[in-house]
Amino acid sequence: MSFLPLAHALSAREDLPVPAWLFAWGASIVLIVSFFALAAGWRSPRFEQWRERPLGAGVSRALLGLPAQIVCGLVGVFLLGVAVYAGLEGTEAPDRNFALTFLFVTCWLGFPFFSAILGDLFRPFNPWRAVGRAAGAGFQAIAGQRPAHLAYPERLGRWPAAIGLLAVVWLEVVYGAGGIGIDPHTTAVAALAYSVYTLAMMAAFGVEEWCERGEVFSVYFGMFGRLGIFGTRDGRLERRRPFSAATTWATIPGSAAVVLASIATTSFDGASEGAFQDPMESLYEWFVDQGASLTTSLRLTETIFMLLCFAGVALVYALGVRGMRSVPGAPSLAKLRTGFAHTLIPIALAYLVAHYFSLFVFQEQAQFGYLLSDPLGTGTTDLFGTASSGIDFKVLSANAIWYVQVASLVVGHVIGLMLAHDRALVYWPDYRRATASQYWMLAVMVAFTCFGLYLLSQANG
Amino acid sequence: MNARTAILGVVLVVVAVVLLIVLSGGEDDGGETTTGGNAVANEAGKASKEGGDQGKPEAAKPEVTAIVVDENGEPVGGPAEITVDKGDEVRFEVKSAVAEEIHVHGYDLTKDVPAGGTVSFTFPAEIEGIFEAELEGRAEQILELRVEP
Repeated sequence: MSFLPLAHALSAREDLPVPAWLFAWGASIVLIVSFFALAAGWRSPRFEQWRERPLGAGVSRALLGLPAQIVCGLVGVFLLGVAVYAGLEGTEAPDRNFALTFLFVTCWLGFPFFSAILGDLFRPFNPWRAVGRAAGAGFQAIAGQRPAHLAYPERLGRWPAAIGLLAVVWLEVVYGAGGIGIDPHTTAVAALAYSVYTLAMMAAFGVEEWCERGEVFSVYFGMFGRLGIFGTRDGRLERRRPFSAATTWATIPGSAAVVLASIATTSFDGASEGAFQDPMESLYEWFVDQGASLTTSLRLTETIFMLLCFAGVALVYALGVRGMRSVPGAPSLAKLRTGFAHTLIPIALAYLVAHYFSLFVFQEQAQFGYLLSDPLGTGTTDLFGTASSGIDFKVLSANAIWYVQVASLVVGHVIGLMLAHDRALVYWPDYRRATASQYWMLAVMVAFTCFGLYLLSQANG
Repeated sequence: MNARTAILGVVLVVVAVVLLIVLSGGEDDGGETTTGGNAVANEAGKASKEGGDQGKPEAAKPEVTAIVVDENGEPVGGPAEITVDKGDEVRFEVKSAVAEEIHVHGYDLTKDVPAGGTVSFTFPAEIEGIFEAELEGRAEQILELRVEP
């Protein structure tokens, strides 16, 4: 019996744990950088005002116009269709089926990685948004009026997306925990069920409303997209200062839960094989002793630890927020909670890069190699002549992976600190109070970053 | 000021936690070699070490790890563990009570073993990382191979 991370089902190799000396260096750099940041902080907000530069009208029209929207939407719907079809009809070998790698690696990791640089890339390709908008346009053409929608309950905010995020990772990591991970067929059925649910919600509340608040993938990928340098406003493509769009992301209730869920689920996936292995095994054996079946015990154990991770991560953030509240002139707790949520986006991204960067590099070789030519894994199809290609595991050395892992956590930490410092200057115009409030966010971020380093050093330990 | 004491507290806590983690991590590493899944295999490996001595330095001398698969298709004593440095030779043999295909993931080596038969693997450790060898039909892990840089 062992607790296996997502990577296990797909990849034939796992990362070596970060050696102790590199861990110590990483943690030391984090601390030094943090104190330097406190001392050298700027005195008026730098990221809060949108300083964007619109790109040329021709470029905007070509990339954002209706033809481009239709093409991108069709591509999204087509690829989702291929993945679902491969999942239903293709091989049950997880690593040979297009569905798993495409959905859980290419999309689930690729959109955050690239959106964080370039801006929200998922929105144009979102298959449900495309279908929803097409249905809305059809309705308008026939009925002669825009479809009527229910008012979205404002208090729900992004909570449906946060819970959905936990559910996706639960499905990915916990549900398939029978030893080989989730199987392609279950993935395809889940994708279909999610499509029905999403289209129903879009019909009820409106396409854009649901994408902004409830649609898991739009909210999650869009969150990382706020770090990127391209955005749109009023149909114009614009270049913006990196990270600056993140400052307006967390205005909707429940946003903090989304970013915390992201950190928690990545932590859980990383820790289940390393840091948490012993307590998880104890709990698992306790469930087995109580007479639960092996699979039930495994799932119960993993579910509990995943929720514990979420609770732990949320508690650290809540303590930081409480601490900031104690600084004179602080806004309300609720305002602080949403007000600093965006400062954790770089940390969530750093966790993703640290834990899945190598998986992404290796598995994309399969995606654009044998999975592209033989999506069903039948062994008889060879669409592009790459069906017999393999994965070259030598493209990344263990040292290269370690340095990327530690560097991503340190860089994420620094960007998070910058955003937090900036936001504090908005809430506390007095520079000294702003800095005092940031001792608390600094503690939160040092905790997250060192925990992230610790998880890497304990992987498979 | 108040904030100064707060920051001092935070620093002390973080330093303490980091020290704790580094130290416990070191202990873990030390403990791992002795509490590995398959002490039997290690012993067997040492016993047969005198065999293929090719005058290499002590550290690079390949040991043959012996893995025994019982009639339930499970490795006796749990999956074996082999840790080598990149460039070393990986050597192990599998004595199986059941007919199976043995697959070393990552290196993508496969060999069939008949019921009651023994197959041996010898290959250079060229790819860094953690890999497993499985009885492919049963998806049963019999070996964890760690190749360190």
